[in-house]
Amino acid sequence: MASSSSKWPGRPDKAGLPFQVRKILGNRRISLSIFIGPSVGLVFLFYFIPVILTFLIAFTDMDRTLTWRFTGFDNFSRLLGIGVRDPIIPRVLLNTIIYTLGALPVTIIGGLFIAILSMRVRAGVGLFFRTVFFIPRAIPPVVYGFLWAWAFEGTRYGLFNAIRAALGLPIVQWLIHYPMIIVILANGLLGISLAMLVFSSAIATIPQELTRAAEVDGASATQIARYIILPLLKWPILTMTAWHLMSFLNSYVYIMLITGGGPYYATEVWSLYAYHVAFTQYRYGYGASLTALLVVVNVILLLLVLRAFGMQRMLARGKIEM
Amino acid sequence: MVIKRVTKAIPYILLLLIAAPFLTMYIGFFLRAFGERMVLGVIPERWGVNNFRFLWQPIAWGLEKTTMWAALGNTMLFATVSGFIVTVICMLAGYALSRIEFRGKTFFLVLQLILHAVPGQILLIGIFFLLLYIRLLHQIPGVALARAALEIPLGIWMAKGFFDGIPWDVERAAMIDGCTRFQVWYKIFLPLVKPGIAAVFIWGFLFAWHDFIYVYTLLPGTIKLMATLIQSLLATEVVDYGYLAAMSLVYSLPPLILFIFLQRALLKVPIFGGKGAV
Repeated sequence: MASSSSKWPGRPDKAGLPFQVRKILGNRRISLSIFIGPSVGLVFLFYFIPVILTFLIAFTDMDRTLTWRFTGFDNFSRLLGIGVRDPIIPRVLLNTIIYTLGALPVTIIGGLFIAILSMRVRAGVGLFFRTVFFIPRAIPPVVYGFLWAWAFEGTRYGLFNAIRAALGLPIVQWLIHYPMIIVILANGLLGISLAMLVFSSAIATIPQELTRAAEVDGASATQIARYIILPLLKWPILTMTAWHLMSFLNSYVYIMLITGGGPYYATEVWSLYAYHVAFTQYRYGYGASLTALLVVVNVILLLLVLRAFGMQRMLARGKIEM
Repeated sequence: MVIKRVTKAIPYILLLLIAAPFLTMYIGFFLRAFGERMVLGVIPERWGVNNFRFLWQPIAWGLEKTTMWAALGNTMLFATVSGFIVTVICMLAGYALSRIEFRGKTFFLVLQLILHAVPGQILLIGIFFLLLYIRLLHQIPGVALARAALEIPLGIWMAKGFFDGIPWDVERAAMIDGCTRFQVWYKIFLPLVKPGIAAVFIWGFLFAWHDFIYVYTLLPGTIKLMATLIQSLLATEVVDYGYLAAMSLVYSLPPLILFIFLQRALLKVPIFGGKGAV
């Protein structure tokens, strides 16, 4: 039912609006655009225009003078290694692959593990551990980054080195010798905080009869987890994998805060490199071309996800599929 | 008997083992904020609030001096503006998506999910130039608007969830009495979804409060927010960890309290087969 005011012309106007205003607000199209317009506008302004700008700037050699000079495919040929090549790119590419393929299993397996375990302990204890693993998402990124940078600081002022020193062990330069592992763990833990919540709410919807029956039949806890819970979690696991694959490909803030991409490009991933090129070297054009490539990868991934899941199923409320 | 007791204890032991390093980090961080000198790395020798001296003393930063209160005020302004924009826009859109049928509605909803999945940080170069050309760069309200846009996709879903929970009869009665759509929204629905308004506002507020990369990149170094203040103090040569831990604690406390309020509202958001996606 659209605006019904026009259907009862003789009715006294209880809502008390002047006739002209009523006529305008009563129009279906106008009222719809009042409701939807602002969000469409903002999405257009801050998602689509930036994408278009990124692709345009990618074909220029925009620097700190902010002048537009189109240079064709120069940026892309540089990052693809045709002609003048960028010596950092192979390193960055390898880092991105290691980082993504490292953090993804940490997130999914860790999230599953904690969700299943925290369901098997007493409710209060389970809630406590879920809260502990949710902390990374509840504190600001700067504080989380500071926490990791401080914990793994290479002097005796760092937390873990202070503990080691107290125990009489030598000091370890964590961020120099194991930067990638630390970065993977820090981001994996962030992934876990979301995955764990999604998995445990999905486990909570599994009918009790299923696990009860298996228990009566003599299945062990591991068998119940392996043959009953895991298969029913197929859908949440798939979605969380897709979600975090994109998240790890694109997010660089935590790496920037913990290692800054160093030492000497050891943890510089693609998205962070794009940021550094643009905002610390002021080579916006080249940075935009790096970003543009990432956007293309994202679109391909999203199309794959949409194809695999389907639009209607993304909107469906069902959490587990029986 | 013994074996049964052991198997029952296994989940507890495993959870504790996994959580141990992180618990150490959090507890150590907390102790560090309140401790003056540390023994064995984590145990404070003397308790005190000397680390919290930034509450009453100016902060030496480079050659200049700044205060924590200025940064806190900026953060508050940034987060409030952003939260307000998110609330108004999501409450409008959420109503239409809940109650009005229109072409492209499913597409619009899926689009919001997709946009939520794309971390806004990768578009930073584009957003930098956009703000530059519309002359909103380097000022808090402009950057707050850009930041608000990031939270709109999920905010719309949240708002829609709240409107979905209100029975149709209420608005049918109002419309028969001659209310327009807009009046129904303003006079009937907004008072009914007050918890939803609070939740969406907290949502927008919280992530703006947390934000680092937008304020770091899009605001000049002279405008300090809590995030950039802590980051710039971290980047100096001599880092006083106790001082920074105390400041981080002050900075993280408001969002932690808000999170508790938000938790119940978030449970109503169905995203990607799970609920409560953040």
